[in-house]
Amino acid sequence: MSSTSTSETRTPDGGSAPNAPLLQVENLHVAYGATEVVHGVSFAVGAGRSLALIGESGSGKSTIARAVLRLLGTKDAPVTGTIRVQGRDVSALREREFLPLRGRVLGLVPQDPGASLNPVRSIGAQALEAAALVPGAHRREEREALVTRALERVGLPETERILAAFPHQLSGGQLQRVLIALALLPGPRLLVADEPTSALDATVQKQILDLLDELRAELGIGILLITHDLSLAAARADEVVVLQDGRVQEAGPTASVFAAPRSPYTRALQADVPGLHPDRFAPQREERDVRRPLTGAASQVVASQITRTFRTRDREVQALKGVSFEIPRGRTHALVGESGSGKSTAARALLGLEQLDAGQLTVGGRAVDPSDRAGLRELRRELQLVHQNPFTSLDPRWSVERIVAEGLNAYRVGDRRERAERTAWALEAVQLPEELHRRRPGVLSGGQRQRVAIARALALRPEVLVLDEPTSALDVTVQAGILEVLASLQAELGLTYLFISHDLGVVRQFADTLTVLRGGEVVESGTVAEVFAAPREEYTRRLLASIPAREGAEVPA
Amino acid sequence: MSAAALSPAPAAPTRRDATARTARRYGTFALRRTGQALLVVLLAYVLVFLVLAAIPGDPISAQLENPQAGYTEEEKAQIRAFHGLDRPVLIQLLLALSQAVTGQLGTSLATSQPVTAMLAAAIPSTLALALTALLLALAIAAVLGLASRLLPTGRAGALIRSLPAVFLSTPNFLIGLVLIQVLAVQAGLFSIVEPESIGATLAAALTLAIPVSAQIAQVFITALDEAAGQDFAEVALARGLPPAQVVLRHLLRPSLLPTVTIVGLVLGEVLGGSLITEAIFGRAGVGTLVQKAVAAQDVPVLLAAVVLSALVFVLVNLVIDLFYPLLDPRLRGTEETR
Repeated sequence: MSSTSTSETRTPDGGSAPNAPLLQVENLHVAYGATEVVHGVSFAVGAGRSLALIGESGSGKSTIARAVLRLLGTKDAPVTGTIRVQGRDVSALREREFLPLRGRVLGLVPQDPGASLNPVRSIGAQALEAAALVPGAHRREEREALVTRALERVGLPETERILAAFPHQLSGGQLQRVLIALALLPGPRLLVADEPTSALDATVQKQILDLLDELRAELGIGILLITHDLSLAAARADEVVVLQDGRVQEAGPTASVFAAPRSPYTRALQADVPGLHPDRFAPQREERDVRRPLTGAASQVVASQITRTFRTRDREVQALKGVSFEIPRGRTHALVGESGSGKSTAARALLGLEQLDAGQLTVGGRAVDPSDRAGLRELRRELQLVHQNPFTSLDPRWSVERIVAEGLNAYRVGDRRERAERTAWALEAVQLPEELHRRRPGVLSGGQRQRVAIARALALRPEVLVLDEPTSALDVTVQAGILEVLASLQAELGLTYLFISHDLGVVRQFADTLTVLRGGEVVESGTVAEVFAAPREEYTRRLLASIPAREGAEVPA
Repeated sequence: MSAAALSPAPAAPTRRDATARTARRYGTFALRRTGQALLVVLLAYVLVFLVLAAIPGDPISAQLENPQAGYTEEEKAQIRAFHGLDRPVLIQLLLALSQAVTGQLGTSLATSQPVTAMLAAAIPSTLALALTALLLALAIAAVLGLASRLLPTGRAGALIRSLPAVFLSTPNFLIGLVLIQVLAVQAGLFSIVEPESIGATLAAALTLAIPVSAQIAQVFITALDEAAGQDFAEVALARGLPPAQVVLRHLLRPSLLPTVTIVGLVLGEVLGGSLITEAIFGRAGVGTLVQKAVAAQDVPVLLAAVVLSALVFVLVNLVIDLFYPLLDPRLRGTEETR
């Protein structure tokens, strides 16, 4: 790959990078229709360097990435400002002139590997198609050799099996490796990694980020990392640019930005990163311990040796193999594990949605029995679920009040006035502004929606809430707000939580005890303090190591 | 690296096994669907038979009860017995069914000709019309759909996108009359007195195809738009694939799934529309046959026609069902290999 000679004099702050910047963006403005969403953003990425654009949803970070790769429709989203690639101003290039840069100089590592390969074509067909774009690869054998080498480079040695597979037959981590391999084929100088790991499990996340780091060191590729995760940026980027509402709040070398954040926004953002602040909800929990000390009475939720096997025509999957845990009244127990670990099956079993093969679940001393419909109905009054995705769990045609009142109506609680009072109480408990009570979910933000979902669960005054990854779809600041509400509610109402999460940073902040699951089996369990201080199992240690927070980056806000 | 060198050898047979298993599964799937399709045709036959039997009146009775015909009671009974009308409905049904299975569809009550002969005379004309119309509709829809993606956005694109709605809202007979006026009368491209000629068949097929193509094109364009909004389309573009190739290699196949589905559904339109089109162009096809049979309450002909269209419907949808797993590997039901 011969890189065109670049004149270093053309780049004003070329001094900070070893070479002329691979990518230099100056005074970038992007508008969607009449609304400008990016207001004059500038940054530069050098060869072998990584720069992170940090921001929450709506900050414009993905728009900037798309503007750099010219993936925004030019008519729908006019882009102004200067974008230089290897010193050459590409902003004025016509579509046809820009095409050779795509893939060959500027590569993309996408956000959701599961959706980023064509589902109806085999990996091999798509890989060969990508190899055909490599200059000089004319013969099929040459292309196959290129593909094989690239797959081996990204840690997929079983190339034949991978190439024969269709995307739905591979795991998220494998797909992301394939996508990185395809991006590497034409020898790009810069990779734009748009939230490359947000759809992956924690340990897989770490592997993918390590791979990107290796490629950067080995091939001198520059990386533009787009992320909402401050701790990830802290661990992986040389420089960071913090964005809010399309404006740069703060920029500079990672170490100095995190050691002494100058802008209030960065400080707030940092304060909400779970991995950096394990004691974030300590005040609420201390208050709880004072108001509702542990009595030593029987546990609110008991799972003993629960087992569940799924059978298809030609195989069996043991989703749960004799899993046991207990949750004392008014405390939080976390089920931790990666996808396929059985944590969701355990939650479904607790809700009476799974028939167990063996073992028993009790809630408040009563057994959960899916075949006993009346008993289940009574149980669900005491046991409510907060679903993972607030964007799909609320009926878009119902008003917030009607959504929250649904359970009250279903159980015919009190009269009309009493139900209205309960609804208002629940919405107040989650601190949803009163002017939103009659609106529909469509106008609410993700955080507001999740508050509505929690209010809906609270309305029946249950004893136990099953929180199924309640904040995984939300930004860190929004996540902190939701967790704070949940922590206060526990202190106030004595709620018992079963908290399902893959995010150990949040678990450390929020839970009292935890069970680590893997492949349906308990790997380790104990109090959060014990397990985090001294994990006994290798798997737990790996999970803990995957919390992306860097030593020395912990700075009191 | 040694692991990499070793792995292909043991991996190869398992892959062949998997392919064989997939093929076997596809075989059972195809057999099951075919069985279901036959069942649907059988049920359609029974249902139509019972409905027609329940409707009062038939040409035989009308003729027999006509006082001017002057049949004796004995003659009436003989004629009824000849047509099997003296037996209970269920026995009639079983008899008719057993004959239908052997390919005998009875005798027309109106013309006394064997129904099979009448159908055999009418089918070629309709088949030529319907097939040509379907092919034309597919071609028009394909052109509209691909043009909507490949042409630069702007006026041309907007025009392409508005065409299906225009096609759909133009009545069938109006298109037919305009085509006859322009192509036959003014340009003299075909003669209206020879309705089965190639030119006339093409004109009739085009009449039928335009509204049908509009429905297919609408679904196809929407499916293409949806595929274009998927991550994989953007990622392929970012990999440096030229936009036109992204459309042809990445958007086309995922969009065919809903499009193929709608083709099966609009087939009814083609069959129903052929009745009007045959009338406009003066063709002697199944449509005309049905029209006359309805007017004469000719039960055996109606029954045969209804079963024929059910058969066509079921067959086409069977083909489409068998097509899905070929289009989308996720529907092949292979086991996960992660």
